[in-house]
Amino acid sequence: MSELPNNPSSPQSQSDADRLNFETLSKLVEVQGIKSNTTRGFKARIAWSLSYLTLLLVITPAVLIVGHVVLQALPHFQFSVLTSNTTGLGGGLKNEIAGTLVIVLGVLVIAGGLGILSGIYLSNYAKNKFGNFLRSSSEVLAGIPSIVFGYVGYIALVVHFHWGFSLGAGLITLSLMVVPYVSKTTEVALRQVPSGYSEGGEALGLSEGYILRRITLKSALPGVVTGIIVAVAIATGETAPLLYTAGYSQNLPKLAVTHSPLGYLTYAVWTFYNQPSKAAVQLSYDAAFLLIVGVVLLIVISRIVVSASQKHSENR
Amino acid sequence: MFESASRGEVADTVPAEKGRSELYELDPSDIVLKTKSLTLGFGGSTVLDGVSLEFPRGSITSLIGPSGSGKTTFLRSLNRMNDGIRGYRRQGEVLLDSASIWDSAVNLLQLRRRVGMLFQRANPFPMSIRENVLVGVKAHGLAKRNDFDEITETLLKEVGLWKAVSDRLNGSPFSLSGGQQQLLCLARALAVRPEVLLLDEPTSALDPFSIELVENLIAKLAPKVTFVVVTHNLAQARRLSHATAFFFQGRLAEYGPTNKIFTAPSQLDTQRYVSGSIG
Repeated sequence: MSELPNNPSSPQSQSDADRLNFETLSKLVEVQGIKSNTTRGFKARIAWSLSYLTLLLVITPAVLIVGHVVLQALPHFQFSVLTSNTTGLGGGLKNEIAGTLVIVLGVLVIAGGLGILSGIYLSNYAKNKFGNFLRSSSEVLAGIPSIVFGYVGYIALVVHFHWGFSLGAGLITLSLMVVPYVSKTTEVALRQVPSGYSEGGEALGLSEGYILRRITLKSALPGVVTGIIVAVAIATGETAPLLYTAGYSQNLPKLAVTHSPLGYLTYAVWTFYNQPSKAAVQLSYDAAFLLIVGVVLLIVISRIVVSASQKHSENR
Repeated sequence: MFESASRGEVADTVPAEKGRSELYELDPSDIVLKTKSLTLGFGGSTVLDGVSLEFPRGSITSLIGPSGSGKTTFLRSLNRMNDGIRGYRRQGEVLLDSASIWDSAVNLLQLRRRVGMLFQRANPFPMSIRENVLVGVKAHGLAKRNDFDEITETLLKEVGLWKAVSDRLNGSPFSLSGGQQQLLCLARALAVRPEVLLLDEPTSALDPFSIELVENLIAKLAPKVTFVVVTHNLAQARRLSHATAFFFQGRLAEYGPTNKIFTAPSQLDTQRYVSGSIG
């Protein structure tokens, strides 16, 4: 206050008292601060340690499995595996690779299409009780064990409709199984799109479809793609529902809906691993290795697609 | 096509300071937009009761009043932005060039092309700056592909953004400042050649310098476009508008020439609001 001598309303004595109070207070705060800093530091270290520990728990099995498969498969890997069909308990995996690709593409189209459309419906239109009912139904669908899907597919499609073991039965069964993942992530991603986007579009006289296609869906794409990746990865890795519906074949897949059993990599992993012959076990590891490579490729491609589409995103 | 030259001339003759409303004559009989005892509500509650207002072509009208007085609900009803809100109900009419905007013959998308809107928070779309300007033109099929470059340049020059963005037309709009984003949104809205622009607190999130830019722009565009501006900035209403409507407790409390509302209001509430005693 001494630097303001012209101010008559603040006498010297009062400002001294203020300063005293302030000094006492700052000492108190300092002491408390040091104390709480040590406890805080201790708590923070525990939290960090727990975080690292759980991270380790998650990563270790993944690294062990991938490492084991790669170490078993790679040293003996022959490229003829890619170019020849399975014969008996040996040969290559050409028919299984082709089968898995056909299944992935089919699931991409069927589950991707159905999932995105139902996600759009759930996020934009299903705002009443019926919408909540649909949402819970979808969650129930996601919770049904895959073997149950397989058995239902078998009874309904393979037996009742006389489709036989077939590509159609396999695709429908697998797609229904993974649709909830796509629709859920699409719904959530669309809900997170700023409302200003659609409002701005409406105010400009853009049609609902135009806003959806050019603005909101584009903005939600990273979420949608994540859902599709999860769905396709699950579909690629499933064996049980396919055993019941797609059967198995040592020939290249027939592109027919019915009476077209086909091979797929997970069948090779599952069947050949339990065979006594060394070539069969080797084939099993090759199939697992190819599955891992495929999933990694899928993730890389999707990352590239997403990053290209988000060039003008608000979050960059 | 976009008559930027003529608009530019108008801008040069309009000084940036006050008294814009005196600079060109409005034809009071040429009413572009009109509400007739418009009553609006959501569910059981009535937000706004019996508002009759006229907006002469080329005028700037400010809607002022405390929060919750129904200004924004009123504004959003003028291009039917409330139609999709659950529980929304309305009585009375809004006439655009003497035709009801709720007539079954009215194409909603066309209506919104003619009556555009700018929001409180700048909301550029997640596409390039160029695409932001052109999106309405493309969606409404207003121009040929060959003209897109020229249209982009004209509009960006019109809002004074061209120098700042001409070297990054394909860049992200979110790299721009808040004020520039709002100007881009204005360019986007102008691109579809609206007759009326509804502005919902267009400058409340901007710094004083950007506010001046936007205000100058509105004043410059006004003879061609009719503006209805919701604002909490009383000085802005005073600087900018020909007429001012004061909304209070769900009613249109007073309406008149801006000068009169601010200097000689007839209602006590208006007097207290514009003088800062309430609000």
